[in-house]
Amino acid sequence: MEIKNNLLKVTFSLALAMLFLSCQKEDTGSTSVNLPVVDSYLIPGHPVIVKITQQKSLTDTAEYGKPITGLQVFVSDGTTNAQLTEASAGNYTYTDSSFLVTGKTYTLQFKYQLVTVSAKTVIPAKPVNFVVQYDTVTVSTSGTSANNTIDRLSWNNPGSLNYVLVFDCLDGSAFPANTFNADAKTSFEINTNAASYYNLTQRTFPYYGSYLVTLLSVNQEYINLLTSSTNSATSQNLSNVATNIVNGFGIFTAMQADTLKMEVNE
Amino acid sequence: MIPGITTLAFAQHTETVLNKTIINKLFTCTLDKMLDTVAQKYHLNIVFERDSLSKFDVVEHFFEEPLKDVFDRVCSQNDLHYWIESDGTMYILQNTDDLDRLKKLNALKHLSQGKAKPSIEPVKGPPTHFLFSINGRVIDQSTGESLPSATVRVRNTQLSTSTNTDGNFTIFNIPSDTCVIEVSYSGYQPDDRRLDAKKINTTLVFGLFKSLNTLNEVTILGKKSGVMTTDTKKVGVLQLTPESLDKLPNLGEKDILRAFQLMPGVGATNESSSGAYVRGGTPDQNLVVFDGFTVYQVDHLYGFFSAFNSNAVKDVQLYKGGFSSVYGGRLSSVTEINGKDGNKNEASYGVDLSLLSLNMFASTPLNDKSSLLIAFRRSYQGPLYDKIFKQFNTSTVDAGPGGGGGPPGGGGFSESTTPASHFYDADARYNYKLDANNIFTWSVYTGEDKTDNSRALQLPSFISSGGSLNVTDYTKYGNLGSSVKWFRQWNKHIHSNTYITYSSYFNNRDNSTAGTTTDSNGDSETFENGTLETNNLKDIGFKSEWEWEISNKMKVLYGGFGNFQKINYDYIQNDTSTLISQHNQAFLGGGYIETEIDPNNKLHIQPGLRSTWFEPTGKVYLEPRFSASYVVNEHYTLKAATGQFYQFINEVTREDVVDGNRNFWVLSNNTNIPVSEARHYMAGASYENDQFLIDVEGYYKTLSGLTQYTESQSQITPGSTTNTIQQDFYNGTGRAKGIEVLVQKKLGRYTGWIGYTLADAENKFAVYGNSFYPADQDIRHEFKSINMYHYYRWNFAAVFIFSTGHPYTSPLSTYTITSVDGNTLTSYNVAKINSERLPDYHRLDLSATYDLLKLSSQKIGSIGLSLFNVYNHANIWYREYQVVNNQVITTNVKYLGFTPNITLSLRWK
Repeated sequence: MEIKNNLLKVTFSLALAMLFLSCQKEDTGSTSVNLPVVDSYLIPGHPVIVKITQQKSLTDTAEYGKPITGLQVFVSDGTTNAQLTEASAGNYTYTDSSFLVTGKTYTLQFKYQLVTVSAKTVIPAKPVNFVVQYDTVTVSTSGTSANNTIDRLSWNNPGSLNYVLVFDCLDGSAFPANTFNADAKTSFEINTNAASYYNLTQRTFPYYGSYLVTLLSVNQEYINLLTSSTNSATSQNLSNVATNIVNGFGIFTAMQADTLKMEVNE
Repeated sequence: MIPGITTLAFAQHTETVLNKTIINKLFTCTLDKMLDTVAQKYHLNIVFERDSLSKFDVVEHFFEEPLKDVFDRVCSQNDLHYWIESDGTMYILQNTDDLDRLKKLNALKHLSQGKAKPSIEPVKGPPTHFLFSINGRVIDQSTGESLPSATVRVRNTQLSTSTNTDGNFTIFNIPSDTCVIEVSYSGYQPDDRRLDAKKINTTLVFGLFKSLNTLNEVTILGKKSGVMTTDTKKVGVLQLTPESLDKLPNLGEKDILRAFQLMPGVGATNESSSGAYVRGGTPDQNLVVFDGFTVYQVDHLYGFFSAFNSNAVKDVQLYKGGFSSVYGGRLSSVTEINGKDGNKNEASYGVDLSLLSLNMFASTPLNDKSSLLIAFRRSYQGPLYDKIFKQFNTSTVDAGPGGGGGPPGGGGFSESTTPASHFYDADARYNYKLDANNIFTWSVYTGEDKTDNSRALQLPSFISSGGSLNVTDYTKYGNLGSSVKWFRQWNKHIHSNTYITYSSYFNNRDNSTAGTTTDSNGDSETFENGTLETNNLKDIGFKSEWEWEISNKMKVLYGGFGNFQKINYDYIQNDTSTLISQHNQAFLGGGYIETEIDPNNKLHIQPGLRSTWFEPTGKVYLEPRFSASYVVNEHYTLKAATGQFYQFINEVTREDVVDGNRNFWVLSNNTNIPVSEARHYMAGASYENDQFLIDVEGYYKTLSGLTQYTESQSQITPGSTTNTIQQDFYNGTGRAKGIEVLVQKKLGRYTGWIGYTLADAENKFAVYGNSFYPADQDIRHEFKSINMYHYYRWNFAAVFIFSTGHPYTSPLSTYTITSVDGNTLTSYNVAKINSERLPDYHRLDLSATYDLLKLSSQKIGSIGLSLFNVYNHANIWYREYQVVNNQVITTNVKYLGFTPNITLSLRWK
């Protein structure tokens, strides 16, 4: 009898608990899959190109998402509100190459599915005094002193601004320098961590040949994108990659470049 | 030490008769007749079932043999056991379960003969002392080990208490010196003793004998509602006796912390952590104290086994919240582990052998004042170890359709080796009794996990003209802790425990390559590169804990503490670039006071205050605590607790999918890691009768100043030599609430319990938005069914666990942009944090244990078979996402499937 009584009490407590725990919110934020993806790098002297695509479903094997066509896309420098024309599906351009000026702030804006998508960026200063210590370096085949400095790239950076180096092996993948890393890409970028130099090691170069080395002055939003992107992730650490697009994904950023050439020989 | 006079004397008398009596006789009769003869001649009370024993014939000539050998021989020939109860009665058993029946038979026999054997001394005369106090100690008679939480009652009064962790007790206002004191403790035979004028001025020592059959009792009991009196006074306390753990299914090691996970309110589905997820808290919010020092690394083998050797542990208590002001420095719960003192009477040894490890202990008196216990265990790399190791160390990625996935992080240099890996731990405890009032104990614990994948390689000739590579690749983590404790009984009412403690934790990983090469000119060059990560923590402390029993109605606990903590964390790459360098230290110190007030037999209130000064913030943190209980009647008890809690140190996890996650500790500071704070509100009710216990508790907790660690490493591009690590400490708040129900069957052949928890744990971190989201450890429903069936020398157990899946974060879609080097950059559009749920977790574990008994029914060991996850349910630990050929490949990383284990335990003494 006592047990029965008690079970009643337990049941009652449970019912109370249900009430106690019943205020759950159900908001998964799944509408974000409809937001557009912006891909745009502003470089003075070049036309403005803004590529706008849809996101891809997880099983989609296409390289890029479907282009979003028929948008009215504007880029403003504060005085001129330039409307871009759709040169090809999803690729919006503004061909006036004098439009982009160092130091000015540019705002992207368009409406997609009744939502205003926008982003903002500033054109950074052009890199100054970008030099390489040796135009030609010879790399030994032993594959062991991979971390010894063999050359040095430097530039002016008194304000500890952000710079990215892009290496492009002009001879392609014909002469691999590292048998361990046979599928390395022929072009790659390196974040210089706001330094004014970068030490090159044998490991820097996956292939022998001529390299075009580009120093890009970039904004923080680009560094954020670089440092937060990952190839593999788990359900325990998954988080969104940084973006500066409001109501969208991707990047709308400005940069300026300086280039030099060097030879990496066997 | 003054031994018990009554029961002890009876049992010893029987032993003496057995050993000293020499038999010279020819028996040619039935066994019952022989026993009658022996009983009559040597004045022994031998109880047996005449019907069955009359079927056995004895034809044997005993010549100059001790009576004990006669019993051994006769029992062995007829497949019988004998058992000497503490009252000296000898029982002849066909099965160990016969004891209960024979005891009743014995009582009936005495009753029918009209001479009920007195189990207690008669009153010698009229009482001479009134309203005095006594103090005493309860010990295990065979080992001298003190027994904490034993119940001590004054017969026919409401006066009762329970022993503290040192086995001591005090009772005030005893009506007269003719009263009878009753002592009982789970797994032991009760002892009764009549007081007299002489005894009341000494420390009463009750030496309890083990009971033959502890199997009819539930091994883990919610202490608050067990048969002990303190039960009703405490909220959310679980107590466990490690000796009974072999009756539960185990996976290689009897595991203290895993056993707690079978109770409601303690999460049971984190196979990768034996740390306690208590009431929505995380393992680092659970304070683990071993012999007075804090333990920072509580598990082995990626969390699968707890770091404590059950053979060296006397008792464990888990406070699920609202705990006393004696404890502090953690937000959620306290696990207090007390090591064994070591056998004070005779040397004893034991070995446990399983498919995973070898576990040995030795315990011996050194002289009449001191004893020593040493326990050691080490895993060996058998199939079971490898299976678990692989589960937590590598994750295989299913090949995506139309393309190979390849292992994450795998380069072109593939060469497979099996890493050498093991864990070990060792305990030593030295106990020195200076005199009756001063006892010194020195305790040392050390444990380590090591994985070594180092190897030497000869460079192939196409790379170089010669040379060698030495790859160092090891991970080592573990603990070293030690304490010196001074127990002092200042007078009848005041005693203290003063500790000097040391605890260190380290977690090191060295992954480097060193070697020499010879170039084409014959010049050799040495080189070294790789990463070295070291994290170590040192904690040196002092504390003094005092108890002052003022009266039966009031007890005051007070004390002080001081700790110096130092943490060094370095992450160095290629000997040159330091990725992480943290060197922090802190002093914290303070005191506490708590009063236990029992205004009457029904009400118990316990207000307390703890205060801590923390050097890095320069502030004093005050923690008021309060708990109370009310005994409605003999069946029902109500209880409640509340309190404020601060935590000054956090454990953070650096996630590493390939090599296993790495944990390290960081101290709170004035900047990005705040001192965290929690408030608990708990209430419950329990119902208990002889057979059943039903306990319901609810809780609500708020947490603030929580810290979450994230780390992002800049993408490793082919040429990058200077990696950087971006570390972020996010701050937020949390809340947890829940209801726990426990229904337990305490007695009989079938025992066990059902636990159900309805819970909710949420966090709010600004970085994830402005609303609460499910915390990683949030589980809505958790159901546990623990079933134990005892059949003669067999024990069978079935444990079923079901829980709602853990929350996780999933990608909704992907998007791809072109990066400045012309390559594509694919990113995930991630759903709201923890908005999805993994599938429900469930598994069934089974075990069967066979007890090995001596002829005198003493247990000398057991053989156990355990089956983990019997129906091989694929429980998902987490999901892994990879972009392969532009599409996302999802891999379920699973917990352990069906795994059998065999354990052999042997004891000598």
